[in-house]
Amino acid sequence: MSMQPQVAQQRPLPGIRHVLAVASGKGGVGKSTVAANLALTLTQQGHRVGLMDADIFGPSVPMMMGLGLVDPQTTAFPIEKYGMKLMSMGFLPDASRGILFRGPMVAKYVTLFLTQIDWGTLDLLVIDMPPGTGDAQLSLCQSVVVSGAVIVTTPQDVSLIDARKALNMFGEMRVPVLGTIENMSYFVGEDGKRYEIFRHGGGRKLAEESGVSFLGELPIDPRVAECGDSGEPMVRRYPDALVSKAYHEIAAALWKQLESQSAPAPLPQVEL
Amino acid sequence: MRCRPVSIRRVEDELLIEWDDGYRGRIGFQKLRDACPCASCNEKRQQPPNPFRILSDAELRAGPLRPLAMPSRGSYAYQVVWSDGHDTGIYTLEMLRKLCDPA
Repeated sequence: MSMQPQVAQQRPLPGIRHVLAVASGKGGVGKSTVAANLALTLTQQGHRVGLMDADIFGPSVPMMMGLGLVDPQTTAFPIEKYGMKLMSMGFLPDASRGILFRGPMVAKYVTLFLTQIDWGTLDLLVIDMPPGTGDAQLSLCQSVVVSGAVIVTTPQDVSLIDARKALNMFGEMRVPVLGTIENMSYFVGEDGKRYEIFRHGGGRKLAEESGVSFLGELPIDPRVAECGDSGEPMVRRYPDALVSKAYHEIAAALWKQLESQSAPAPLPQVEL
Repeated sequence: MRCRPVSIRRVEDELLIEWDDGYRGRIGFQKLRDACPCASCNEKRQQPPNPFRILSDAELRAGPLRPLAMPSRGSYAYQVVWSDGHDTGIYTLEMLRKLCDPA
């Protein structure tokens, strides 16, 4: 009897033009906020966009988009809101209690969200990555051909340590890094003066030392937190705010990069 | 620019890999298996060789080792599914290139 083990074939995502990972290495730099606002900005710019929350332990997408738990028996995924298609662990009732998972389960859910959800036709699937360089990141880069990644960082050097690790990881996995974004870059007070609360320039420094593009600075605006908590992203509620304009510029630059780079070709099939 | 394979195919008990820089290399199946980068094989390699090791039923049934499938993993690696059921090794392109002997 010959053994024929089940082979987990890599599934292509046929209807999806680009897969974009939003990552940081470090936690707390505003990755989910940036991913949500970028995804929505790209939608406003006329693209068909999906947003997949790959943070299995700490999903943020449901709250940021004004959604909550759903009954998976009666709900079709992805869920549509603000013209985007969304998927997150946070939609599933078990997740609200907190999840105790080892790595393989994280890998399973990330792969499941990517390949078993009917995303339909999309110009772009934005992946909100968890912090770190672990199971979720590996699963993403092993399951699909990722078009590119952006690295979100805050200005100070401590944030850059982990951002460099993320950059190296994408390099190892041959995912093109499209650029860095500096979040919480500065604050403009009522006096019109610019305050660099968390120092300044880390995002540009990281881009220069790594030979990738610097995509832009996102200023601090306390309304970003208000918007995240109330379920309507900043770029939708306050489209004229300075930070929303910065998102528009970054999104346009990103899209241009995605379209101009030659699409990463799938590896050749092995003839055995 | 790091090199990528243009084609990978089996020739007898070897893989023949043509790379985009023109290099043609071959890797014997046993050499490929001995280099399996998975955690359990890494651990086994660190242990002293056991001359009294008894082959498992699966190993006996499988006969000479050969890859049954090699699905690609993203843009950077191939997973090898062996005839004895072992399938946890993910070989990066860099690793495959290093294992190549000139064809």
